Amino acid sequence: MSRERSEFVVLGFPSTHDALAAESLLKDLGVPVVPVPAPQEIGALCGIALRLVPGDVLRARELLERASIPIAAEVTVDDV
Amino acid sequence: MTELCPIYLDHAATSWPKPQPVLDAVVSALTECGGNPGRGVHALGLAASRLIFEARGDVAAFLGVPDARDLAFLSGCTEGTNIMLKGLLKPGDRVAVSSMEHNAVARPLHVLAMNGLEVDVIEADETGFIDPDRAEAVVRAKPTRAVICLHASNVTGTIQPIGDLADIAHAAGALMLVDGAQGGGHLPVDVASLAVDAYAVSGHKGLLGPQGVGGLYLAPSLQPEELLQGGTGGGSSELPTQPEMRPDRYEAGTPNTPGIAGLGAAVRFLAEDGRAERQRAEEAALVGRLAEGLAELPGIRVLGPAPHAPRVPVVSVVHDRVPADRIAFTLDKRYGIAVRAGLHCAPWAHRALGTLGTGAVRFSVGFGDTADDIEAAIDAMRAIVKEGA
Repeated sequence: MSRERSEFVVLGFPSTHDALAAESLLKDLGVPVVPVPAPQEIGALCGIALRLVPGDVLRARELLERASIPIAAEVTVDDV
Repeated sequence: MTELCPIYLDHAATSWPKPQPVLDAVVSALTECGGNPGRGVHALGLAASRLIFEARGDVAAFLGVPDARDLAFLSGCTEGTNIMLKGLLKPGDRVAVSSMEHNAVARPLHVLAMNGLEVDVIEADETGFIDPDRAEAVVRAKPTRAVICLHASNVTGTIQPIGDLADIAHAAGALMLVDGAQGGGHLPVDVASLAVDAYAVSGHKGLLGPQGVGGLYLAPSLQPEELLQGGTGGGSSELPTQPEMRPDRYEAGTPNTPGIAGLGAAVRFLAEDGRAERQRAEEAALVGRLAEGLAELPGIRVLGPAPHAPRVPVVSVVHDRVPADRIAFTLDKRYGIAVRAGLHCAPWAHRALGTLGTGAVRFSVGFGDTADDIEAAIDAMRAIVKEGA
């Protein structure tokens, strides 16, 4: 039995504090996010990244910019 | 209070006992959030990361720090003063520093002075107060990189006019750097309205947290060199240099998660229902009565402000015949009263007060102390000086 492939966007942040600030803000404002280990596509970053569905990305970007929480990297990943 | 120590009057060294939520938070951090914060995205690592994130927000709010990223968690106030001084001051710079400083400032300045920092002292008056006019004269005498003054004296309890000193510093193009070890908790601290450039705070004194944790606020415009380089969890791990983003830059290595958890719980406890304000009012009443009662004893000289003048809850005394160490020992062994004798890691302040040769007995009041404790301490002192005179 095979599972459906899904596409997600992963946002990377400069620091753990920024990642957790973003998680708290987005969850409070109704944008579901899942903390994930920063994927290799993010390159030099490590630590906590946030995964969300592509349809929420624009809103997430706006909300984070308004709160002065910087996004350091953004990649699209496939998940099985 | 316990069989071992019925009356604890050494809060300026370390506050004790701690509120129950502080103890619970330390245990919970170890039992329920035992991962390494910022280093793993498994459940225990995330729990530890969130614990520190929340504590940082709560401590920042309590100290009036507008952006929590500007508050670094450190091993204590001393690490904070070392970062602010060694990270910002260069050979050839000149600083104006109060004569009441603790060794947390005096010793780093000594090292810097050996390497070419020019250190000019602003002399305190007889109450330990740094008069702004006197400070301004020292600051204006030469180009000045920084004005340095502790928020409150750990020897006399004298509260310094930090806002005025910050204005003087900034008018001269200098930074205002503050050792807030005795300020946090005992005074309402709002770094934004004080307009200081750096403020180091101890977690285990008036803030009622555990030992081994403190904080450093740095104004967004400042970028002091970090003292330590190492892992931070986030950022660009492959780079050989320490990341510049805050708070990571100043938090190399695994943080003291249980200590930070306790500190976070402590400030939430203090912030709840105006408890901090009530605690400060109680402390002011108790230390006022203590200073008054001690001042009435024959042969006793109370250092610092007049008995009921504003001070943080610290009062130090000398007796004209009984040495400070003997008084402290007798208070402990015969009466179960914990105080501290000696120089209190503040030889500069004792020099300014004329007590460098004798030291003093310091009584410092805080959470858990009662009016009965204060009367017992005065009664014990009355008996000791009567016997020793």
